[in-house]
Amino acid sequence: MIENFAPKMAQVLTEYSVPVQKGDLVVINAPVEAMPLIEALYEAVLDRGGHPVPYVIIPNLGDVFMRKAADHQLDFLNPLAMEMISKADVLFNVLAPHNTMSRAQVDPERSARAQRAGRPFVEAYFRRIADQSLRWNICAWPTQAAAQQAEMGLQAYREFIYRACALDQDDPVAHWQALSARQDRLIGWLAGKQSVEVRGPNVDLSFHLDGRRWINCRGDNNFPDGEIFTCPVEDSVNGTIRFSYPTVYGGREVRGIELTFEQGRVVRASAEHGEDYLLTQLDLDEGARRLGEFAIGTNQGIQQFTGETLFDEKIGGTIHMALGRSLAEAGGVNESQIHWDIVHSMRDGSAIWVDGELFYENGVFVIDA
Amino acid sequence: MHESFASELAHILTSYSNPIQPGERVTIVGNVETASPLIEALLAAVLARGGFPNVQTSAMISPDYTPFFELFLRQANDAQLDHLDSTMMHWVNECEALFFIKAPANTKALSSLDPARLARYRRTIQPLSETYLNRYAEGTLRWTVCAWPTQALAQTAEMSLIDYRDFVYKACGLDQPDPIAYWRSFHDVQERLVDWLKGKSHVEVRGPGIDLSFEYDGRPWINCDGKLNFPDGEIFTSPVEDSVNGTVAFNYPSVYQGYEVEGVRLRFENGRAVEASARKNEAFLLSQLDLDEGGRRIGEFAIGTNRGVTRYTRSILFDEKIGGTIHMALGRSYAESHGQNQSAIHWDMVHGLQDGGEIWVEGELFYRAGEFMVE
Repeated sequence: MIENFAPKMAQVLTEYSVPVQKGDLVVINAPVEAMPLIEALYEAVLDRGGHPVPYVIIPNLGDVFMRKAADHQLDFLNPLAMEMISKADVLFNVLAPHNTMSRAQVDPERSARAQRAGRPFVEAYFRRIADQSLRWNICAWPTQAAAQQAEMGLQAYREFIYRACALDQDDPVAHWQALSARQDRLIGWLAGKQSVEVRGPNVDLSFHLDGRRWINCRGDNNFPDGEIFTCPVEDSVNGTIRFSYPTVYGGREVRGIELTFEQGRVVRASAEHGEDYLLTQLDLDEGARRLGEFAIGTNQGIQQFTGETLFDEKIGGTIHMALGRSLAEAGGVNESQIHWDIVHSMRDGSAIWVDGELFYENGVFVIDA
Repeated sequence: MHESFASELAHILTSYSNPIQPGERVTIVGNVETASPLIEALLAAVLARGGFPNVQTSAMISPDYTPFFELFLRQANDAQLDHLDSTMMHWVNECEALFFIKAPANTKALSSLDPARLARYRRTIQPLSETYLNRYAEGTLRWTVCAWPTQALAQTAEMSLIDYRDFVYKACGLDQPDPIAYWRSFHDVQERLVDWLKGKSHVEVRGPGIDLSFEYDGRPWINCDGKLNFPDGEIFTSPVEDSVNGTVAFNYPSVYQGYEVEGVRLRFENGRAVEASARKNEAFLLSQLDLDEGGRRIGEFAIGTNRGVTRYTRSILFDEKIGGTIHMALGRSYAESHGQNQSAIHWDMVHGLQDGGEIWVEGELFYRAGEFMVE
């Protein structure tokens, strides 16, 4: 039994993920369910000479707001939140849901309206990420709601997160440094390569890289982490994949997704469960039918599907692909409202070939790097 | 916002469902982390009525009643799993009234546990339920199972907690001007229906997705009027075991042992489900039906009558009472309705008759599209 791993996690977050410097304004944006981690982060930031500012989310208030707010309240942009997002040097976002389905009955038009009102906040956030004046991280703290979604008890889920964050290692910071160095070597090997083929019992897919970069997801912006990703050349994707894992997107679960690509575009799409939803999302805009991301999950501490993308896309031995918007840092140019990550296990003997060379097989990197 | 939800609920529970008399020993079983408003309100109500309350805020019976169930099941060795806590047996043997508050903090808390260990501990605590069911049968103890809204139940129902609280409030009839009068008249209406059904036998159910007939041959219909379950609202009987014929394609999903099964289709011949299929989790359905001989027979046929339960929430305490639905349980029947089917399972499946479904009894139209047609 793990009594309280928050101090250990806060140490990795403030020392390795986003090293907090003296004088940093550090916002801890977290639900009250994450109280142990809020306390531990607060203390760790103080110890490092920063200025911790807890921004604590109280459960149910968001639900009350969505139920009661009049239009002018839905349209309201909180100036205090704008001040926060324009001044913070570091932002820790902690995922700790009190109810993963609390928005399922909300009128989509009201949510969309509230989302529109919050757009300046999101834009300021992305602008400050892009110009690197805001350092940020998304991490997770175990709650009953998240455990329930993962079909686990809270004890089992706590242990799951503990291992996923490598807090069970003697020196977690050294573990993450080693993971980062290993991923750097893989990315070094991939630099300048042209073509990728993914083959296996449920996948036969190819695409081109043409100088697109691979990015090392090493635990800085996500925690836990563990993936390398790139953006395929938009019109180069061809072939078929039948995804092994379900996916939860926009609060909806879709299972048994099969996609066929021709010249970068999804020309056939089906699902065993939730097909209608899949098709509406694909038809939202032109970019939704193209891949914005191709990634390989590398976190060996995650071996179980939970329904939370922060964890699922990092499962060691999987790949994932995102339909929709690509990520500029890797050189992608696909535009879309959606960015929908879908995960596929490679442990069924599937392999990745790069420029004709076997790069990855059955969940393991097989090149010398 | 309900200002006195718990007090209003506790008032009905202690005056209508399970009326507490001065001097009675009353055990309240509820999870201290999730049900404390109702635990407090019940404690106050029992005290006000002159009872002697005994509050069990972490009874190791199920995760509904204690935050420590998962820890216990994960760590206990075989000897500890086999050990029956004598203090629990003490209150089950001694008290005159029992309240069980279902308020899970996580409806999937058991999913990650070893099923064999869980089964082993369930065998250990079986004397607990046997004792209170026997004492209820001999009239020396009354028990009531009720629910208190939690985030976990709300999440399972795909609702926010504030919406789910409204749902439970209405399901309990607390939105009525006089909830106790409401439940009394609820009892009376069902009593007349049960009386009308007395001595009859032949039932046919027809409508979208269903064409089924059975005999009950004078077996009683039971009036579920808010005494053992709260909220409540159903009348049920046990069909003669070999008399069920026809087909049903259930239009509500059903959750059993944590598995959600959708699109269940059953065809009965002489009481036995000879064909069974499901759109989702068919393998689980078949595994349960084939657990034992009684798993393919109907142990219960019931009509849900609670108009305040307006939607499906994946919680059988509520789902089986949805006004306008029927439900049937595969497996074990209840002795009180003279059923004889034996099985390890009792799996309730709900079918809506709101879209024109009909129930005919001895050739007379008894129920149509959610309404009773007899006087």
